[in-house]
Amino acid sequence: MRLLTHNMLSSNIRGVTNGIPLRIEAEKVIEKQVGFNPDFLKNMFSKIEWKALVDASRSLGYSELPEEAPESSSVESEEFLRKFHHALLELHLDEGALVCPETGRKFPVNKGIPNMLLHEDEV
Amino acid sequence: MLQSHGFFVLLNASRCFYKFCKTCPRSFVNICCVCPPLISRTMREVKAKSAFGLCTAAAGGESNIQDSVSVSKDRSCSSSSVISTPELEKKYVHRVYDAIAPHFSSTRFAKWPKVATFLNSLPSGSLVLDAGCGNGKYLGLNPNCFFLGCDISPSLIKICADRGHEVLVADAVNLPYRTGYGDAAISIAVLHHLSTEKRRKKAIEELVRVVKKGGLVLITVWAVEQEDKSLVTKWTPLSEKYVEEWIGPGSPHIRSPSSPTLESIPETEENGMGECVKESKEKSTDKLWESLCLPSQSEDNLAVSKDEKAINNQQEYFVPWHLPYHRAEVSGASASALANGLAKKDDKKGAVVYNRYYHVFSAGELERLTSDMNNAVVVDRFYDKSNWCIILEKTSA
Repeated sequence: MRLLTHNMLSSNIRGVTNGIPLRIEAEKVIEKQVGFNPDFLKNMFSKIEWKALVDASRSLGYSELPEEAPESSSVESEEFLRKFHHALLELHLDEGALVCPETGRKFPVNKGIPNMLLHEDEV
Repeated sequence: MLQSHGFFVLLNASRCFYKFCKTCPRSFVNICCVCPPLISRTMREVKAKSAFGLCTAAAGGESNIQDSVSVSKDRSCSSSSVISTPELEKKYVHRVYDAIAPHFSSTRFAKWPKVATFLNSLPSGSLVLDAGCGNGKYLGLNPNCFFLGCDISPSLIKICADRGHEVLVADAVNLPYRTGYGDAAISIAVLHHLSTEKRRKKAIEELVRVVKKGGLVLITVWAVEQEDKSLVTKWTPLSEKYVEEWIGPGSPHIRSPSSPTLESIPETEENGMGECVKESKEKSTDKLWESLCLPSQSEDNLAVSKDEKAINNQQEYFVPWHLPYHRAEVSGASASALANGLAKKDDKKGAVVYNRYYHVFSAGELERLTSDMNNAVVVDRFYDKSNWCIILEKTSA
């Protein structure tokens, strides 16, 4: 699971009013390089919940992203874009869990695949 | 946004990276190409410090990190929640796809042109959500977009993941995505597996919810009006009474001894979309049609006689899937499916026969489901290869 995906996931358990962001428990992290696409990164920059991304990247062992949400002009800096690219697309949570911030319920991540299905009593 | 030419590829790292660099036109080199020496640093495992052990009990009482798809408990009557999966779908959609996944995937390779056109028309750099992605046939179809796929079948999702796609296991009726995040969404041959109108509507609402204002949603579903009419005679029609009331756990009637009707239906993996059919179709005959009428109409008989319902009003069906024995043995799920009466053996064909539940759509039905949505409008609708299709645009956040 990439952090791009994590940034858009929300706990959808019945009754939960604030299901984002899911906290990450990382057991195994993998890095995979992938093509650099500034257009895509600029598009994503406007959607990203920054703090969630920073916290998530730190839980995967990457601390190069600035704590504070960067100015939109930052996307013109290649140095920034490369760090953003790395955090967003190249870090993979392979084994671990995503934790609902409100209930503590854990959604497992196995072989890079999150399972977000709810149990009978959660719908 | 710049026009791009296929320089964003998200496949297995080293393989696609090389391909990307080779195909990258000169003029784009300075903005798109990162071509370091390939093989040496594609994968590096980083162990992250984990603050909590695997089995920490959390507030919600959840201490199991394993795949936690639950089997229904013994509950009486209907759940009031539209999100709760009816037994009919658990038995005749979820379990079937999990059992047949690799075989099913091997027959799903032809890319439907209308879907390809839609995906290729999206702006470069779009985030595309495929809800009910199946074997991931459309993921990555437009190399300039980022695809996120989800499906309710862990087996199908595993096939997608093995191909390098970004995917998760989720329910199309309750997408675990934040509102308004995606640039576009697709739902290809999915909604016809939902057994109530409320659930079908909810799934459409979810597709619209998860895209941004101005985002497009493409939905395709099997049509009542099949181009190959002989195909429909190979399906088992279900009475609506059966479908509407089918909410409790356990089915005495599915366990009934082999119904003569199912054995006599010729096999097909056709889905009305012109997919490559591996086994040859048999022509329907009058004799075959007679055999669809069960000799004794028990109270909970699920099949309808020709007299009960005109076939063109019929929208609820079981559509057979023939899983060859050698495939069934590999998957392992078929042994229990046979024991539970969920599937039957056809020795003549050497296959385990599963049934998939379908609600096929009538003309205009898909559009009618969207008529009371106040945040989306229909921008296109069409019929193509036995499917009804619609494109929605989200009009307000």
